[in-house]
Amino acid sequence: MLTILQLYWSFCKIGFTSFGGLSMIPLISSEMLSHGWMSASEVSDIVALAEMTPGPLGLNCATFAGIRVTGLLGALAANFGILTPTFTICAVAALFFERFKQSDILKGIMIGVRPVCIGLIWAVILNLGVSNYFADWTPQWGSMLVAVVGAYLLIRRKWSVPAVIVLAAVLGILVC
Amino acid sequence: MKNLKKAFSLYWYFFRIGWFTFGGGWSIVAQMQKDYVEARHEIEGQELLDIVSVGRSLPGTMIGNVAYLFGYHMAGVLGGILSVLGIITPPLIILSVLTVFYNNVKDNVLIAKALVGVRAVVAPVILSAVLKLHKGAFPQKLCFVLCGVSCLLSLFFHISCVLLVVLGILSGLLMNHHQKGGKTPC
Repeated sequence: MLTILQLYWSFCKIGFTSFGGLSMIPLISSEMLSHGWMSASEVSDIVALAEMTPGPLGLNCATFAGIRVTGLLGALAANFGILTPTFTICAVAALFFERFKQSDILKGIMIGVRPVCIGLIWAVILNLGVSNYFADWTPQWGSMLVAVVGAYLLIRRKWSVPAVIVLAAVLGILVC
Repeated sequence: MKNLKKAFSLYWYFFRIGWFTFGGGWSIVAQMQKDYVEARHEIEGQELLDIVSVGRSLPGTMIGNVAYLFGYHMAGVLGGILSVLGIITPPLIILSVLTVFYNNVKDNVLIAKALVGVRAVVAPVILSAVLKLHKGAFPQKLCFVLCGVSCLLSLFFHISCVLLVVLGILSGLLMNHHQKGGKTPC
């Protein structure tokens, strides 16, 4: 029981102090090592596994760590730990956002925030592009081909995202 | 009662697309854009972008926050909670199984190749969403500058997204102020 609470608390801290993605890794690593829940090589295993499977990195790490330490209950506790900011800070933000959406000030703020958010999404795309289509600056033609086919199907043929992802997995086996 | 039904349908929706959460959750945003903005017209592209902006700037996992904000918008608190639970169920199942079979999966060549393919398609998936979200997000010329600057700052100087959002908030307030002062902005 104590371990489950500790797992919850560790991932709760990780959730509150991180803003998504890879920024969680150092924290996860120090939490896991300090409790003796995992070795350093297991931590890099989690990151690899969490990166390659569907699901956000933080939640995947929580599940992996939870199961390794105490089983399914631990995984649930760790998942709820990492979601605590969502159910607290974000829940309050949702309340305020819905209430003040029509106010001039919030409307003004969003006029500045929307372009920033789009800029950040472009940064994600460019970052992914560099790491997925070039390995040490060698072009990965197979991956580029998959990307072109995917873009065509999504934008021109209006395929759904899951369908394109499944096709990309098949194409990956064939051409990558 | 109507909200209750809607909340459960949100759980089911996010449960179905949760199996395809790649690229830190951006693939989910892309699918939400296709389903709710384009097909069902239940939410405006701008509203979705607002939800993503807010969810991205709060602590925690982005997609959890986005699912909560979206669910809350559609069906209140229960809608928010069930959307989050819906989106986390598939990864929870997949990871639980994979953790057990980790050693078999880790070195499997076919799985590795399939994942190279999936990773290759994540950028176009996000691209397809962002192209749609552009609409209406740049009412003033200054917005393009803001977009370009934050993209570059994030890419080359690794400025945290929280700081950039604060920059957006301040610029938004300034632009608003200017407009009120009777000057035509840009």
